[in-house]
Amino acid sequence: MTGTVATDPTPSPADRARRTFSRLAGHTLFWPVVALVVLLLACGVVSPGFLDVTVQDGHLFGQVVDILRQSATPLLLAIGMCLVIATGGIDLSVGAVMAISLAVSLTYIAESGSGTTVGTALTGLALGLVVALVIGAFNGFLVTVLGIQPFIATLILMIAGRGIAMLITKGQITTVTSPPFKAIGSGYVLGIPMPVVIAAGVFALVVLLVRGTALGMLLESIGINREASRLAGVKSRNITWFVYALCGLLAGLAGIVYGAPTMAADANNVGLMKELDAIMVVVLGGTKLEGGKFSLAGCVVGALILSTLERAVVIFHLPTQVTPLFKALILIIVCIAGSDRLRSRAGAARRARRTPAVPVEVAA
Amino acid sequence: MSTTSTTASEPVVRMTGITIEFPGVKALDGVDLTLRPGEVHALMGENGAGKSTLIKALTGVYRIDAGTIAVAGTARRFDGPADAQEAGVSTVYQEVNLAPNLSVAENIMLGHEVRLGPFVNWPATRRAARTHLARLGLDLDPMSMLGTHSIAIQQLCAIARAMVVDAKVLILDEPTSSLDKAEVAQLFDVMRQLRADGVAILFVSHFLDQVYEITDRLTVLRNGRLVGEYLTAELPRLELVSKMVGRASEDLADIEKAARRTTTHDLTGREPVLRALGLGRDGTVEPFDLDLYEGEIVGVAGLLGSGRTEVARLLYGADRADSGTLTVRGAGVRAASPLGSLQRGVALASEDRKKEGIIGDLTVRENIALAMQAERGAWRKVPAKELDATVARYIEALAIHPANPDALIKNLSGGNQQKVLLARWLATAPQLLLLDEPTRGIDVGAKAEIQRLVAELASEGMSVVFISSELEEVLRLSHRVVVMRDRQKIGELTNGPDVTASTVLETIAASGSAS
Amino acid sequence: MTSTQTPAPATTSRRTKGGAPRPGSTGGIADVARRWGHRLADRRFLPVAGTLLTLVLILVIGQARYSTDTRSFVNMRLFSNLLVDNSYLLVLAVGMTFVILTGGIDLSVGAVVALVGLVVAKLLILGVPLPLVLLAGVLVGTVFGLLIGVLVQYFSIQPFIASLAAMFLARGLCNVVSVESLAIEDKGFTDLASWRLKFGHGPSIWYINLSMIVALVVVLVAVYLLHYTRFGRTVYGLGAGDGGQAVGLMGLRAARTKVWVYVISGTCAGIAGILFAFYTRSGFNLTGIGMELDAIASVVIGGAMLTGGSGFVLGSVAGVLVYGLIQVLIAREGLDSWWTKVFIGAVLLLFVLLQRALSTGQKRRRKKNKEESPAPPPAAAPAVS
Repeated sequence: MTGTVATDPTPSPADRARRTFSRLAGHTLFWPVVALVVLLLACGVVSPGFLDVTVQDGHLFGQVVDILRQSATPLLLAIGMCLVIATGGIDLSVGAVMAISLAVSLTYIAESGSGTTVGTALTGLALGLVVALVIGAFNGFLVTVLGIQPFIATLILMIAGRGIAMLITKGQITTVTSPPFKAIGSGYVLGIPMPVVIAAGVFALVVLLVRGTALGMLLESIGINREASRLAGVKSRNITWFVYALCGLLAGLAGIVYGAPTMAADANNVGLMKELDAIMVVVLGGTKLEGGKFSLAGCVVGALILSTLERAVVIFHLPTQVTPLFKALILIIVCIAGSDRLRSRAGAARRARRTPAVPVEVAA
Repeated sequence: MSTTSTTASEPVVRMTGITIEFPGVKALDGVDLTLRPGEVHALMGENGAGKSTLIKALTGVYRIDAGTIAVAGTARRFDGPADAQEAGVSTVYQEVNLAPNLSVAENIMLGHEVRLGPFVNWPATRRAARTHLARLGLDLDPMSMLGTHSIAIQQLCAIARAMVVDAKVLILDEPTSSLDKAEVAQLFDVMRQLRADGVAILFVSHFLDQVYEITDRLTVLRNGRLVGEYLTAELPRLELVSKMVGRASEDLADIEKAARRTTTHDLTGREPVLRALGLGRDGTVEPFDLDLYEGEIVGVAGLLGSGRTEVARLLYGADRADSGTLTVRGAGVRAASPLGSLQRGVALASEDRKKEGIIGDLTVRENIALAMQAERGAWRKVPAKELDATVARYIEALAIHPANPDALIKNLSGGNQQKVLLARWLATAPQLLLLDEPTRGIDVGAKAEIQRLVAELASEGMSVVFISSELEEVLRLSHRVVVMRDRQKIGELTNGPDVTASTVLETIAASGSAS
Repeated sequence: MTSTQTPAPATTSRRTKGGAPRPGSTGGIADVARRWGHRLADRRFLPVAGTLLTLVLILVIGQARYSTDTRSFVNMRLFSNLLVDNSYLLVLAVGMTFVILTGGIDLSVGAVVALVGLVVAKLLILGVPLPLVLLAGVLVGTVFGLLIGVLVQYFSIQPFIASLAAMFLARGLCNVVSVESLAIEDKGFTDLASWRLKFGHGPSIWYINLSMIVALVVVLVAVYLLHYTRFGRTVYGLGAGDGGQAVGLMGLRAARTKVWVYVISGTCAGIAGILFAFYTRSGFNLTGIGMELDAIASVVIGGAMLTGGSGFVLGSVAGVLVYGLIQVLIAREGLDSWWTKVFIGAVLLLFVLLQRALSTGQKRRRKKNKEESPAPPPAAAPAVS
C-alpha cells in the first residue's frame, strides 16, 4: 500500500502553474495539437491569405477548406483503424480495400450503362460498401475465429487485394461518367464540401456508437487485457469482429469518396500506402499502437496534421515529392515528444537514471 | 565447487545504510543486510516492505542513493545484473526469467558458452550444461526447449544457470511460490547442497514453514526500514509475524483465533445453487461431483497443482468441460462460458490478478463496471448515475484506497486491486462467488478485511467457494472443505472443531499412493 | 520426455563425477533415436518442413506441366534464374528474419533499396570512385537501421512506427536526390553487374553472377551469426515474448542486440539496394514500393512467427524461392502479373492457417504433457495480437 501515491507538498502559485502546464503537456493530445497549430501558423505567416475563407457560388472556398476536404479520406480510414488498434490489432488492408470498393462501384456503374441516374450511382455506392464490409468481416474472421495475428491476417489482403481490384477492372483503369457519383467526392452540402460532410457525419456517428454505448470501454478493456476481459464476460470475439468489419466498411467509403471526383478506378494506385497514412494519423492522435486507450478526437487532429502538412509543402514552395520527408519528421517528433521514456527522463531525471529497461512497480 | 576459505564470521555481502528513493516515496531507508558464506538467509517483510527493492539494489538493477555495498570485503557499485553476476551475485527471480523458446542448454550456458574460435561449440556447451544440471540432481535433455518443461523444472534450470558462474551469493526471490511439495523438497535439497559448498543464499518467501525449515538467519524489513536481523531458530513464529506487520503479537493471536467457524450448516432438503456431476476436463481435472448451497462457504484445499484452480475454472466456464453436467439452480448448463455464468449469477475471481483480473490502464470505476457491463452487452451502457452509486458504495464498503474512482487501477497496491476486483464481481450480484486465492500476495490487514467480507457475504445468503493455499484460512472460513490431490477430488470434510490443518493434510496423504 | 522431467526426490544421489552422463545412458540406440525423433518433430522445424514441401510441390507441378521432351522444367538454369532475379529479395529477407525473430518489423527496407539505388547512381554520375560508392550505398542502409534501432530501443517507439517513419524519411530523401530515373553507365559498375560464370551448353546453360555470390555469403554469415554466436541466441531470446526482459536479466546485452538487429536489417537493405541496382542498372525513386511486404511475406512463408522467437534463415531462403517460383509459374501460365499478388496472398493465407493448426496441435500435445507432469501453471490463454 505504500509508495504508489505521491504525497503533495503544499503548492506555491508558481508550482501550481508548473503543474498545470505539466498536466496539460501530459495530455495525449498536447503535442499533436501543438504540431498542428505550429503548422497552421507557419503557413499563415508565409501565405497571409492562408486562413481566409470566402464564399463563391454559395460554396466555401479557401486553403483551410481544402485542408478539411483533404483530411476526409485519411480521417475515414483512421476512425476504423483507431478502433481496430484499440483492440490490439491492426488493419493493413485498408488501402487495398479502397481500391477494391472503388473498382466494384465504378465497374457496376460502367456496366449498367445508365451512370447518369441517381439510382445507379447509389446502387454502385452500396455495392462497393457491401464488398468492403465483407472484406472487413473476412479480416475479422481470420483474426477472431482463426486466431491469426492481425498483422499477418490483414497483410494477406494488403498483398492480394490490389490483384483482386485488378481482376475486377480487368487490368484497365475503369472510367465512367456519372455526375451523381461524382458528387459524392466533389459536391457540396450547404456550401460545405461533401467529403467533409461525410467524414464529419461518420465521425459523429462513430463517436456516438463508441462512447454513447459501452463499446468504447469494452474495446479498451480488450486491448489492455484480453484474457481478463474474457473472464469478465466480455464477448471480445464479437466486438473485435465488429470493429474489423466497420474498419473495412469505412475503408470502402474512403475509397469511393477519394476516387469519386475523378471517376476513375486505378487499381494500382488508389489508396496506395494509405494504410500507412491512416496508422500514422492514429498514432499522431495519441493512440498507442499496442492497443488499449484510444482517442477518436486524436484521429481528427492527426488527419488535419497530415493534410496541413501536405498543403504546407506547397505553400513553402517545396517540391511535393519531399512530403514524405516531413511526414517522417513530424512522426518522429510527435512520437519522441510523447514517448513515456522521454517524459520520465525530463520529468524526473533521477528516476530515469534508475529506471531499468523494464517498467518498475514501485515498492509493490 | 568453489570452497570459500572465509570463516563464517566474515560476511560475503555487507550492505549498509542502503537508501533508494522513487519520486514521492522512499522505497528503502538506511537498510543493512549481511550475508555470510554457507548460510541460508531469509529476507522477510510484507508486500511493500522493500524486499524486491533491496534485492534489485544488490543485483544492480537499481542504483542506490545512499549507502554502501561490499562484496567479499571490496566496496562495489553495480551497473546492472551482468556486473553483479561477475562479482559473484546471481539471482533467480520469482517468475522464471529465462527464454522458453531456447533450449535448456542455451538457457543455462548463454553468456558462458564454450567457444571454438569464433563459433559456439555446441556439443561442449551441451555437455557443460548437462554437468551443471547433474550437480542439481537433474537429468534433462539439454537440447529440449525450455518451454516444454514444467515451471518447477524451469526454476531449477534458472538455478543451474545462476551456479554456472560459481556464484558466491545466490538470491532466490520467491522461488517456491509455484512449486508443489515434492518440488520444494527437491529445491531445498539443492539449497542445502549449495550451502554445504559455502554459497550464501538469500531466500525470499511468503511461506513461514519454509523459512523455518531451511533458513539459518533472517532479516526483517518493514515499510522500507530495517527491523532487525535474527537467528531463525531463536525467533518464535508469532514474534516474527508481529515484527513484519508491526503489531503487537497479542493482536495477531486474536486475529488468528477470531471467527473460527464451528457452526455446521443444515443442508437437508435444500436445493443446491450449483450441482456438478462428473464434471471434468481432460488433462486438467478428473471428473468430480460437487454441490454448493446458499449461504455456504466451501473451501478447496490442496497443494498447488492439485487442480484447485481448475475446478473453479470449470465451474465458471473459463475452461470448457469435456465430461459431466453442470446444473445451476436446477437448470442444466450446456457449454458454460464466462458471460453465461455471470448471467446465471456465478462469478469467478481469478488467482492471477495481473493477467486475468485487472485492466491496468482503466480506472477503478471502469474496472468495477466491466463485468456488469459485459452482462448487459456492449450496447446498453450502465447509466452513469447507477454506476457512480455502485462504485461509491463498494469503495466505501471495501475501504478501497485511494477512494478515487478515477484512479488508474494499475497504480493501486495489490490488496486494493484485489478489493476492486471483488467489487467488480459483487456488482454483478452473484449468487455463487468463486474466489481463487483472493488473499495471495496482499498484506495482513487487507487479508483480514477480505476474510471478514467473505464471511459476511455468506451470512447474507451468498454461496462462496474459497480456494487458498493457506489451510488455516480455508479452515477458518469454510463450512465444508473439498480436498484435492493430483487433479482429483479426493474428499470432502464437514468443518468442525475436530477438523484441523493436520486432518486435511492427513486426508491428502492417506488416499495417495507414494509419490 | 516426462521421465526426464520428474526426477524422484532421491535423485540428488545421481550426481555425476567427472564428465556428463551420455544422452540416453540407459536406453542405447533406441533412446537416442527417440530423442532425435522428438527434436525433429519439434514445432520449430515443422513450418519450415511445410515450406520445403510447398517448394517441392511447386517444382513437381512445374515439372509436370512445363517440361518438354528436350528440356526439363527443373534444371540448373531454373535455379540460376531464380537466384539472379531474387538475390536482392533474399538479402532483404535475411535481414528481415533477424528483426522478426526479435518480434519487431522493418517497413523501411523497400524505400531504403530505392534510396541506395539513387545514391549509388548519383555518386557514380558525380564521378566518385566505385569502391567508395558501394561502401556509401551499404552505409546508407546501415544508418537507417541504426536510426530505427535507436528509436525502438532508446525512445520506446514501436518498431512498426519507427520503421514507418524511416520509410517516409527514405522516400522523401529519394525525391531530394532525384525524381527521375538515373541510369548507371559507370564502366566498373556495369562490369560488376554483368560479370558471371558460365556453366553447361546450349539450352541448359546456366550462370553464377556476383549478386548470387553476395546473397549466398549474406545467408552464410546470417546462419553463423544466428546459430553459432551468443548474439544470435540473444536475438532468439529477445523474441521470447516479454520484450527482452528475460535475456536482460540473464545478463545478455538485450538493449544492444535489439539495436543491432535493425542495423543488420538496414545493412542488408543497403546491400540489397546495390544488388537491385546491379539488376536494373539504374536508380529510381519509385522502385521498391511494397518490397518490404515481399520480404515480410517471404519470411512468414519461410516459417517464422511474427511474434518472434521462432524461425530460421534457411526457412526464409526457402520462402523467397517459393515466392520466386510462383512468379515463374504465373509467367509460364501466361497470366497477367497481378495474379502473382493474388497467388502470394493465397499462399500466405495457406501458411498462416498451417501455422495456426500446428500451434493448436502443439498446445494439445503440451496439455497432454502437463497431464503427466506435476505442477502445471494454469494454461495461458492464446493472445491474438
